[in-house]
Amino acid sequence: MGGKVTCTLGEVKNRADFIVYWGGNPAECHPRHFTKYTLMQKSRWLPRGRKDRTMVLVDIRETKSAKAADIFLQVRPGCDFELLSILRAMVRDEPVDPDAVAETGIAYDVLEDLVRRMKSCRFGCMFFGMGLSMTRGKHMNSAALLTLAAELNAFTKFVAMPMRGHGNVTGADVIMRWQTGYPFGITFNRGYPRYNPGEFSTVDVLVRGDCDAAFIIGADPGATMPQPAIDHLARIPTIVLDPHVTHTSRLARVHITTAPAGIAAPGTAYRMDEIPLPLKPALKSPYPTDEEIVRRIREAVATRPFWMPEDSPQMTTEQL
Amino acid sequence: MNASRTSRQGVGINAGKFSKEYQNAVSVMTMHPEDMASIGAQEGDLCRVTTADGEATFACTAGNVPEGMIFVPYGPATCRLMNGSTDGTGMPQSKGWPVDVQPIADDDVS
Repeated sequence: MGGKVTCTLGEVKNRADFIVYWGGNPAECHPRHFTKYTLMQKSRWLPRGRKDRTMVLVDIRETKSAKAADIFLQVRPGCDFELLSILRAMVRDEPVDPDAVAETGIAYDVLEDLVRRMKSCRFGCMFFGMGLSMTRGKHMNSAALLTLAAELNAFTKFVAMPMRGHGNVTGADVIMRWQTGYPFGITFNRGYPRYNPGEFSTVDVLVRGDCDAAFIIGADPGATMPQPAIDHLARIPTIVLDPHVTHTSRLARVHITTAPAGIAAPGTAYRMDEIPLPLKPALKSPYPTDEEIVRRIREAVATRPFWMPEDSPQMTTEQL
Repeated sequence: MNASRTSRQGVGINAGKFSKEYQNAVSVMTMHPEDMASIGAQEGDLCRVTTADGEATFACTAGNVPEGMIFVPYGPATCRLMNGSTDGTGMPQSKGWPVDVQPIADDDVS
């Protein structure tokens, strides 16, 4: 476990002749993925476009993406990790338990055919969605898939990529990573970043009631997080920056309306393959940008006297 | 219960979360026709979905989901059913919960 063997979507578009979507429904959730990158594009190495590519969909239900797939594998709910482990064994020609295979809901000869195709393609890419990463097993499921992709490189070129959410969620991870070394679940309360998912991650901090104020930029936890976390946001002073009225803005003490990024505010958004793309605003907005508001709050806070004792380790270099 | 995104829910987010479009998109659950028959629910009936953590009401519709599974789009209703524990991962489990589904009698709608 560890590491992600990946590439850019440009390489997928030009080279990938074997595509697997696992626990994702791009037909509904990433509607331009097929046409711009994975299936329809023709290239020097795939001159016939769709005809040169094979697409496999793995999911627990037959979604709209199944219509676009050459092979649809309906895995039994909660069996993704088991299925990935079986595939890893089969890729290495190791024996597998027929009962374990039957448990996944997919026949052995179908898996045998899949493994043969995976090993014999020229450039394979596995995309995985929340159907893999948000069900039982969570990051262990993702790790199993990433390991399978890495191990397939003993036979051919194989990569994997998560199907990221809307907006700029990839950007949030990428920026946190190069600024602090960690993607999420970070605390700065000792003056330097510390990482511990389950302890410092937002949902856990809110559910335990550890924080006594919340500052939310461009997210709607009031319509996405578990109810105990939402209840805590309603109890404490919550400040929201958002172009829209949302469930979070309704429970917040303060809602500052902002210019929508990419439409009325410039900036940078990261594509799901972590390529930064500049955003050019097409419209003017009477509202300030997120960046301007955060900068002004920071400036206002900086004029206040430091609240902890002199020389405390929490003091930043600036304050010292 | 399997919660997920749909294109209608995604469009609804941008139309506004208090728009009819979004509210309608996130208040419908899809069930296997035989599961609907076995609990005595008709197309469009309101059903109460209960987990150990909360309950929510959805209008049910028959569709192509495996028997024993209900499918709902993410929204405020799924938040009420979700457990706050992340098992130390930082991510709450947002799919695959055991749920209890009961049709709501007409005189019981609150």
